Amino acid sequence: MASFDSINYSLRPSKSVQRGLVFDGLRKLSNALDLSNAVYIGFGSIWFTDFVLAHKTLNIDDMVSIEANEIGFKRAQFNKSYRTITMMQGMSQDKLPEVLSMPGYLNRPWIVWLDYDSALNEGVVQDFQWTLNNAPPNSVLLFTFSATQNAYGDKPVQRPERLRSLLGDVVPDDLSKEDCSKENLPSVLAKLAMDYLKSEVADLARPGGLIEAFRVPYFDSVGMVTVGAVLPAVGAVPAARAVVSTGDWKCLVDEVIHAPQLTLREIAALQSELPPVGAITRTRVQELGFDLQDEQIQSFQKYYKYLPSFAEVVV
Amino acid sequence: MIPENRSKADANPTKAFFVRMITRDITLEDCIFDLIDNSIDGAWELAGGQPMSLDDNTDLSPYRISINVQNDGFLIQDNCGGITLDDAADYAFTFGRKDTAETENFSIGVYGIGMKRAVFKIGSDITIHSTFIDEGKPSSFCVPIKVDEWLTSKSEDWDFDIEAAPDLPSAGVKIQISNLTEVALRSFESPRFIQNLRRSISRDYALHLHRGLAIEVQGKPVSGWAIELRQGGDFLPMRATFTEQIQDEDVHVELLAGMAAAPPDSSEPSDDFDDALNRSGWYVVCNGRIVLAADKTSVTGWGTEGWPQWHPQYSGFMGLIVFASRRADLLPLTTTKRSVDETSAVYRQFRPKMRDATKEWISYTNARKQVRVEAVKREEFTKSVPIFEIVPRAEVALPRIAPTPKIPEANVLYSVPKARMLKLASALGNINMAYKDVGIQSFEYTYSDLVGEE
Ligand SMILES: Nc1ncnc2c1ncn2[C@@H]1O[C@H](COP(=O)(O)OP(=O)(O)OP(=O)(O)O)[C@@H](O)[C@H]1O
Ligand SMILES: [Mg+2]
Repeated sequence: MASFDSINYSLRPSKSVQRGLVFDGLRKLSNALDLSNAVYIGFGSIWFTDFVLAHKTLNIDDMVSIEANEIGFKRAQFNKSYRTITMMQGMSQDKLPEVLSMPGYLNRPWIVWLDYDSALNEGVVQDFQWTLNNAPPNSVLLFTFSATQNAYGDKPVQRPERLRSLLGDVVPDDLSKEDCSKENLPSVLAKLAMDYLKSEVADLARPGGLIEAFRVPYFDSVGMVTVGAVLPAVGAVPAARAVVSTGDWKCLVDEVIHAPQLTLREIAALQSELPPVGAITRTRVQELGFDLQDEQIQSFQKYYKYLPSFAEVVV
Repeated sequence: MIPENRSKADANPTKAFFVRMITRDITLEDCIFDLIDNSIDGAWELAGGQPMSLDDNTDLSPYRISINVQNDGFLIQDNCGGITLDDAADYAFTFGRKDTAETENFSIGVYGIGMKRAVFKIGSDITIHSTFIDEGKPSSFCVPIKVDEWLTSKSEDWDFDIEAAPDLPSAGVKIQISNLTEVALRSFESPRFIQNLRRSISRDYALHLHRGLAIEVQGKPVSGWAIELRQGGDFLPMRATFTEQIQDEDVHVELLAGMAAAPPDSSEPSDDFDDALNRSGWYVVCNGRIVLAADKTSVTGWGTEGWPQWHPQYSGFMGLIVFASRRADLLPLTTTKRSVDETSAVYRQFRPKMRDATKEWISYTNARKQVRVEAVKREEFTKSVPIFEIVPRAEVALPRIAPTPKIPEANVLYSVPKARMLKLASALGNINMAYKDVGIQSFEYTYSDLVGEE
């Protein structure tokens, strides 16, 4: 387990930060809403990283992992980390409805994290709708998708129209091609996807409504976006709102997280600066003998605790 | 014998029934529009109160209406002159216009219900605050309405109390509402509702926005829809004006119709959003306000009296009928300002003219099927002209094109997974490319590869 964690860490540090933030948030929500009885639904892939976290930090036993790829599915069955994980083979659009017939699952909250490696597309939007429609009270929904600009049209002018065809009326008429540039698209997509979720819930008149809880744009070789929300039971609205509105809630992130890939030597050098007294500056990094971009330094010092194998690697 | 105290059947409405009933059949958006209408009536009066014809160039740029919605409240504020204390005491809060009330000049308001209905629809804790100019000096009052208390109060009369209040920054009205109703709460949480509210404002107040009126939603100004018809070559839109006398009062009517966009290449319904289709149809304007937009139903004649049902083939057509009168009650307005009263006499008089214009377009699109290539060429020759600049003309002119001998054609129809189609469209340079064009381009590509030059 440590081995793939460290692979994740060195190759996909922003991904680790995002996962750390998400589970930090889920843990707080779980305490406030008592989600230990929840069902976890996701794409476990062959690693089941999030499933392991769900089990260890949230005490969740019953989990569903969906995998479309035939070989991936075989490998997932071989690798699945717990007996209590149910594997489903197919696309999420086809398989999610089967969750409804799992005995008792409709009477328990769901934590659904659909961590797509693709961009937002018609299938993803269909999953938005389905989960908002069917998730029982006190469920938490999370969606991660790519914000690679070219996936929304090769030319910037094409992108607003593509987004309109995916998300419909929530997309403002004056969305510009600049809004859809490489730099801006992750935050714009995060906002529009969240606007879509809110609007759907309003249209469905879900009794407890929706509470925006997760917005994490990050850069993981390509721009990625995680958005998520709580669908509280009517009685749990104040409790859920309280969790999300404390200063302690870190999952509504405005800037794009850019955690740097670091070598063991660089980590060792930076280690001596932690926890930081004031901001670590670029000059300081240069004094340590190497160099990083400003946003990488910022993300590092803000989120180094969420690089899960940091301690392990250094030890 | 009927005893004295049993000689009358009580028919007085209860307040609760009344509130429930008046708020039932109107959408939240139309209620917000009622409040905007009232502000505009104030502004229009201050600006001179002319008949609102397309040529009229009343300047509304000093006036501003701002709307803010949140999950715990609603706020609308204007600088359109305010309600005077006398008006407030005598009639503004009366449910239904008193027979003695003078009709405002060219107003949108006519029934005397809009504001009350709107605030009840939005929430139950209401404050209506007005600052008006009284003998050259600002003077103010407010009317707080706690709906629940008002409903349960034992008193027989339906009055609201008027209280002293500080002056607003300029003469105008500010309405604040909290304790939102379920429908307002839900809608205000929906970004889609807000976006669509902006779109509807842009469309239905296009003529006011064109004259400089500022309407802001969530602090951001709404820009008006530029209403345009295509003109050029054989395409000439109609623009005719008429004046009718009704009850010794003038009703001004303007009728415009023509091509707003080229007709579709195929009339197959598609699941993709089609802007031209969406905009097509008839528009009815009463004293400046678009009360019916892009109508494709029998209300504007489609499917009645030898007039076919709307069909996507007719997409691209746009017609406007613009009514103006000093007395708004003579216009075909409904109380919700969201449709027209089909029984209205002036409206019925003009329906045949609307039909004639529509029929011209219908026969053009029918003939066009035989001469598509030539028609497309001529359509491309037209350009969009704002309706205000269209030259008067009694009828719509459309090209008559003689069919050319037909080359036998083959139609291709096949289905592929949508994701693959999008990938190919993307590879061809535009992810939003029409499927048909992806098909044609793939055909041409293969053709030149395998068949080569003709
Ligand atoms: N923002 C405003 N500025 C100035 N006057 C206003 C404003 N809002 C309301 N009023 C006054 O209050 C009156 C009552 O408004 P209300 O909307 O209830 O009825 P109406 O506009 O007369 O008719 P309708 O029911 O057709 O809207 C208006 O006629 C107008 O005199
Ligand atoms: Mg009114």
